[in-house]
Amino acid sequence: MFSYNNKFYKPDSILKKLLKIDWLLLFLVLIVCIIGIGALYSAGDGSLNPWAINHIYKIILGFLIIFILSQFNINFIMNFSVVLYVFCILCLIYVIYFGVGDVKRWINLKYFFFQPSELAKISIILLLAKFFTYYPNNSKNFLYNIFAIFLVLTPGFLVVNQPDLGTGSMLILLGFAIIFVNGLSWNIIFSIVLVSLISLPIIWQNLLEYQKYRILVFLNPELDTLGKGYQIIQSKIAIGSGGMFGKGFLTGSQSRLDFLPEKHTDFVFTLISEEMGFVGSMLVLILYFVINLILIKEFLKEENVTNKILIFGVSFLIFLYIFFNIGMVTGLIPVVGAPLPFISNGGTSLITIFIGLGIIQSIRVSRNV
Amino acid sequence: MKNLNLKKNIERRFFLLSALKGISFGVLSWRLFDLQVIENKKYDKLSKNNQFNFSLVVPERGEIYDRKGRVLAANRDAFSLYVKSSQNLNLKKILDKLLLITNLNEEDVKNFENRFKNLKKNNINVFITDNLSQRDISKIAVRLHEFPEINFLMTKKRVYPQGTITSHLIGYTGKLTEQDLKKNKNLINFSNLRIGKYGLEKFFDNMLRGEFGRRREEVNARGKIITSNLYEKPNPGKNLTLSIDLNIQSYSLTRLQNLNLKKSKFSEPETGSVVVMDVNTGELICCVSSPNFNPNVFTRGIKSKEWKSLINNKKAPLLNRAVSGLYPPGSTIKMAVALAALENGIIGYDTKFFCNGVKEYGDMKFHCWHKHGHGNINLSQAIERSCDVFFYELGLKVGIEKIGLMLKKLGLDANINLELNELRKGLVPSKKWKLDVKGTRWTPGETINASIGQGYMLSNPIELATMVSRIANSEFLVEPTLLSGKTKKFAKLDINKNHLNYIKSAMSNVVNSEMGTAYKSRLKIKNFKMAGKTGTVQVVRISEDEREKGIIKNKDREWKKRDHALFVGYAPLEKPKYSICVIVEHGGSGSTIAAPIAKDIMEKLLV
Repeated sequence: MFSYNNKFYKPDSILKKLLKIDWLLLFLVLIVCIIGIGALYSAGDGSLNPWAINHIYKIILGFLIIFILSQFNINFIMNFSVVLYVFCILCLIYVIYFGVGDVKRWINLKYFFFQPSELAKISIILLLAKFFTYYPNNSKNFLYNIFAIFLVLTPGFLVVNQPDLGTGSMLILLGFAIIFVNGLSWNIIFSIVLVSLISLPIIWQNLLEYQKYRILVFLNPELDTLGKGYQIIQSKIAIGSGGMFGKGFLTGSQSRLDFLPEKHTDFVFTLISEEMGFVGSMLVLILYFVINLILIKEFLKEENVTNKILIFGVSFLIFLYIFFNIGMVTGLIPVVGAPLPFISNGGTSLITIFIGLGIIQSIRVSRNV
Repeated sequence: MKNLNLKKNIERRFFLLSALKGISFGVLSWRLFDLQVIENKKYDKLSKNNQFNFSLVVPERGEIYDRKGRVLAANRDAFSLYVKSSQNLNLKKILDKLLLITNLNEEDVKNFENRFKNLKKNNINVFITDNLSQRDISKIAVRLHEFPEINFLMTKKRVYPQGTITSHLIGYTGKLTEQDLKKNKNLINFSNLRIGKYGLEKFFDNMLRGEFGRRREEVNARGKIITSNLYEKPNPGKNLTLSIDLNIQSYSLTRLQNLNLKKSKFSEPETGSVVVMDVNTGELICCVSSPNFNPNVFTRGIKSKEWKSLINNKKAPLLNRAVSGLYPPGSTIKMAVALAALENGIIGYDTKFFCNGVKEYGDMKFHCWHKHGHGNINLSQAIERSCDVFFYELGLKVGIEKIGLMLKKLGLDANINLELNELRKGLVPSKKWKLDVKGTRWTPGETINASIGQGYMLSNPIELATMVSRIANSEFLVEPTLLSGKTKKFAKLDINKNHLNYIKSAMSNVVNSEMGTAYKSRLKIKNFKMAGKTGTVQVVRISEDEREKGIIKNKDREWKKRDHALFVGYAPLEKPKYSICVIVEHGGSGSTIAAPIAKDIMEKLLV
C-alpha cells in the first residue's frame, strides 16, 4: 500500500493516470463552473467582458492544475508540505509590509495578484496531515494537540490581522476541524470551548471597529441601511424577489441596476437566486451537495490515514466556502467575505480549490495505479 | 491494530462533521425556501421599490364655457422650474443665483425650502415655481449651463380670459394646503397640485380636476434614470358648460357698476348684484356681483399685500353678492304677502283699505312711503303703487306664519341647490324663530314690518329671482342652476292660477300703468312688456323727529346710510321667459335706480 515506486514522473503512464481521475466529480465541477460563467456573463450586463472571459481562463487553468497534480504521487506532493507552510507564513508576513490592496491581502506578481491567505488553507491541510502521520497515536496527548493548534493559529492570526476576518476564521475553523477529526480528546475540546468563551469579550475588544461593526450590523441590518447593512438588505431583497422561478436570465433588476454590491464576486449567488429563482439556487446547492457526497465516498474508500485527513481537509474547505458564502448572502452569518467555489470571479481562491481537488485526484490515482 | 483503531476514530469524527455539513445544507435550503418562496411577496415589493420611481402626472383641468361655448376658464402652457435633489447640493447658492436674475416669489421660495427639507429620497425633481414670466424663463434658459441642477417642465396654468366679469362665479384655484388635505381625505398630496378654492372651481373641483396618471421611472442604485414611461394615463377633468350668457353677464356688470353708462370710468363702481334667470328652466343667464376681483392674480400666486387689500376692502370685493349678499327684500315681497292673503281667503280682489300715509298701531306709527297717503285702494292698486299702509293692514290680517309659509314656498329662506358653496340662505322670521333666537315673543309691530319686507327678513338676489320666476311661470317650483341643459323635473307650485294671474297683472301695472312705480322703466321695444316690483329698503330707522324736520334726501346721506334700491321682474308679459333681480346697495330708490337697470338688461335680452 505504501508504494514509493511511482515517485518519479513516467511519461508512458500519463493517459493511464488521467483515466483514473474521478471524471464524474470533474463533470459536476464543470457544470458548476459553467453556471458561474453564465452568472458572470449576466453580471457583466450580458457580456463576456470583463468577468466571464476571465473566469473561463481561470477554470481552464484550474482543470490543468487537477490534471498535473493527478500525475504526481501524493507522497511526493506531501514532501513539500513543510516548505509550503513556511512559504505561506513568510508570504503572510511579507504582505504586512509590502502587501497591496486597501487591506493589504495581496502580493502583486505583475501578471496577477496572489493572495497568500488562500494558499495557506491548502498548506495547513497538508501540514496537519503530515504532522499527524509523523506522530500517530498521540491524539490524546495535550502538548501534541496544543502544538497542532499553534500551527493553525499562527497563519490564522496573521490573516485575521490583515484584516481579513472571513478568510482568517475559515482558516482557523478548517484547522480545528482537521485536529478534531484526527481525534482530539473531548476533554481538550471542552476546555478549549471554555477558554474561548471566557476570552470572547477580550477578542471582541481586540477586533477592529469595522469588524465589530460588521457583526453588529449583521445582528441588526437595519442599523445602517446605507452602509454595511445595505449589502445584506439588498442581497436579501434580490434573493427573495427571485421567487420560485426567478426574474429570468439577464433580467434581475437588483443586479442590473447595481443594487447588488460585488455581484461578480462574493454576492454572485444572489444574482443567480434573483434571475433563476428558488429552482436555480437549489440546483446550485444540490450540485455542491453531490460534490460533497462524492468526496465523502472518496474518504471512505481511502485506507491511508494521512490521505483520509487530506481528503477530509479539502472537502471541508469546499464546504466552508459554500456555507460562509451562501450563509452570508442570505443573512444567516455576518458579511465576512467569502467567495463561492467555481462561481465567484476570485483569483487565488478558485485556484486553491482546484489545487485541493488536484490533491484528491492525486490520492485517487496513486491508490489505483 | 493501533492504526485500525486510529482509522475508526477518524471515521467516527468524520461522520460527526459530515452530519454537521448535512444539517448546514438543510439550513441553507430552508433559508432559501423561506426567502424565495414564503417571503417572496415582501421582497418582490421591496425590489420593485428599488427598481421604480413612480411620479404622479397631473391631469389637465376641465375648462369652463358659457352657454354659447365662450371660454371662461382654460389652461395655458406654462413652464415649471424644478431642482434635482442630490446629496451635496448647495441649495442656498443656487437660490441666491436664481434670485439674482429672476423675481422669484418669496412664498414660493419658502415653500420650496420646506419641501426640500422633507425629502426622503434623492434624485427627485423638487418643484420651485410655475410663476415665472416669459422673460425670467428665457433669462434662466440662457444661463442653464450655470444651473446643472435645474430643470424645466411643461405644465398647465389656469387662466380666466374674462377676468373680472365672471370672477365670483368661476372663482379661482389655489395651491393645495395642509388644511385642504385634512378636510378632504381623498386628495392626493402633490406639491404642484392646484385645487378649486372658490366659486364653481371649488364646487366642481373633483369633476374638473380629473384623475392623476402615473409615470414610471426605472432607476439604478445611483439614482440614474434608465427608462421612463407613462404607466397610467391621466384622466383629464370634465368640461363645464354654464347657463351664463357672457354677453348679458358683461353688459349687466357694466350697467350695474356705472348706473347710466355715462358715468366716469374713474369713479368707484356701484356695489350690488344682478341676477337673470330663465323662468321655465331655472338656468341663470347672468349672475353679477359688484365690486369684483381679477381671478388671474390667484393663478400667478397672489401676493400677501394684494390679498390683504382684497380682504380689508370695506366693500368686500370677494363676496359674491348674488348668492351670499343678504338684504332686507323690502317691497319686492309684497306679491307674496298678497298671495298668502288670497290663498287663505282673507281678502278678495276688491277688498279695499284706506291709506292716509300712516298706520298707527298702539303707540307706534308706521308710515307709508307716500307722505299724503294713497286713499282707498284695492290689492292690485296697492301693488302697483307699492302702498305700505295697505300691506300693514293686510299683514296684520294674514299673520306672520302664513306670510312666512308663502315666502318659503316661493323660494325665500328655502333650500336651494345652487352649484355654489358660497350660497347663503335668507331669513324668513316666524314666531318660533323669534323665541328661539331672540328669546322674546313676536309682536304685531314686527308683523307690520315684515309685511313690507323689513325688520328681520333677509334674502339674497338668487332667492328673489327664484320667487319672481315661480310667480311668472305659475306652474313649477323652479330652482336656479348655473349649468346649461340640465333637465330637471320641478315640483308643482300649487297656487290658484286666478290669484297668480291677478298678481301678475298687478305686477304688469307696476311697470306699464302710469300710476306704477316703475312706469318710467317700461320696455321701449315692440311687442314686449315687462312686469315687476320695485323695492326701496331703509337701512337706518327714520325717527319721528327726522320725519317732521323733513327727510334728508338719499343723496345727501352718508353712503352707508342710504337706501338699497331693488327691482324684481320678468318679461315678456304673455309668455314669461326671463326673470330679473337687481339690487344696488345704498343706491337709492328702487324705481329710479334699480328699475332702469332691469329695463336695459331686459331689452338687451329680448332684442
